[in-house]
Amino acid sequence: MNKIDKSAYAGTLESSDAFIQIEPIEQDEIKIELHSSVEEMYGDDIRDLITKCVQELGISYISIKVQDKGALDYVIKARLQAAILRANKKDTIEWEKL
Amino acid sequence: MEIPVNFSEFDFTNKRRVKRVEKFLNDIGLELPNSVENFVIAKEEDELIACGGLDGRVLKGIAVAPSHRGEGLILSVMTNLINIAYSKGIKELFIFSTPNNIELFEGCGFNLIENCDNEIILMENTNNIQIYKEKLFKQRKEGSVIGSIVMNANPFTLGHQYLVEQAAEKSEWLHLFVVKEDLSEFKFKDRFELIKKGISHISNVTIHEGSDYIISNATFPTYFIKDKGKINELHAKLDLNIFRNHLAPVLGITHRFVGTEPYCVVTNNYNKNMKKILEDPSGKSNPIEVVEIQRVEKNGKAISASRVRELLKKQDFDKLKEIVPLSTFEFLNRKNDE
Repeated sequence: MNKIDKSAYAGTLESSDAFIQIEPIEQDEIKIELHSSVEEMYGDDIRDLITKCVQELGISYISIKVQDKGALDYVIKARLQAAILRANKKDTIEWEKL
Repeated sequence: MEIPVNFSEFDFTNKRRVKRVEKFLNDIGLELPNSVENFVIAKEEDELIACGGLDGRVLKGIAVAPSHRGEGLILSVMTNLINIAYSKGIKELFIFSTPNNIELFEGCGFNLIENCDNEIILMENTNNIQIYKEKLFKQRKEGSVIGSIVMNANPFTLGHQYLVEQAAEKSEWLHLFVVKEDLSEFKFKDRFELIKKGISHISNVTIHEGSDYIISNATFPTYFIKDKGKINELHAKLDLNIFRNHLAPVLGITHRFVGTEPYCVVTNNYNKNMKKILEDPSGKSNPIEVVEIQRVEKNGKAISASRVRELLKKQDFDKLKEIVPLSTFEFLNRKNDE
């Protein structure tokens, strides 16, 4: 699976969390739109983390919009994975990849 | 010990709880917005401390009690509202609010579309207005008189046809926007087709699909309930400001043409507001001259789409034929046979 089936989201807008919306797109690309309260310090790290996490799941053709309120790495990762799983038909989850 | 805050949601049918929200809003100097479908509230023990509402694609009535501001409650309210919207399959959202909240909502992923006289704002969680503007820009024509008309044409009459003819004659190029919202008796697709057929003899005009930014349920919800005689001036203002500051500049529009409105108080008011807002020399963008065109009459009565709908109800096809172009008449006939 290198595409997601539909758009989905996960997370909240609250402090120390991230709200992540994902959408399938036409191009073979991982498109990231990040708005973060810690953009200055960690913006690039968060982008790397998101790209890596998406690649690990073998996904491309995806647009990712993130509202980050200072979430820790594993929170962002968990929210992103949740969104991706929600965007796919349930039976295709490969747990060993998570 | 910290008192826990409970969030709950309900819809407009729960009159008792809606009343409570109304009282809460009134107490802090706000009004209950009309036509909210879903509400979210936050309560501390038995006290209401925050609320928000969802009306179609528009978030409104979002407020926090003064004593609880700065605690991030609004973020929870927003999360809840967005969850409700998503569960209804609505992803592209608007916020209708006041300018003091701009930053707050930016933090929730919303972008400002228009700040109207520091009274009201409209925001969206996409960049769709930019995309729409880029699309329009491709159809830009240069000239000293670039006219515009916005019409619903529900359905297209000889009155509409006359207005377009007059406007096209007075303009070097004319941009015609068709209201896109499918809240009228006739579907957008049909209204658009009938306009296209009805003005096919005019060469200096471009027909545009309206959008969320021209008389839509997002910018101007009360337009569609005008039969109830209710209209919100703030909505009219917002709609006109978006037209003037966003859409008109990309197309280089200098004039806007409207038909005089003898019957409908709502439309008449809108026309008055239009003159005031579009022509105001102190605005953020170039003023646009509003030109009122006298409506055509038939047997002493102005031709209007509402008259067509009335005749259609009475099945009076002879009279109908006198006030619509042939293309519209054929369409109505066909529709009637179905």
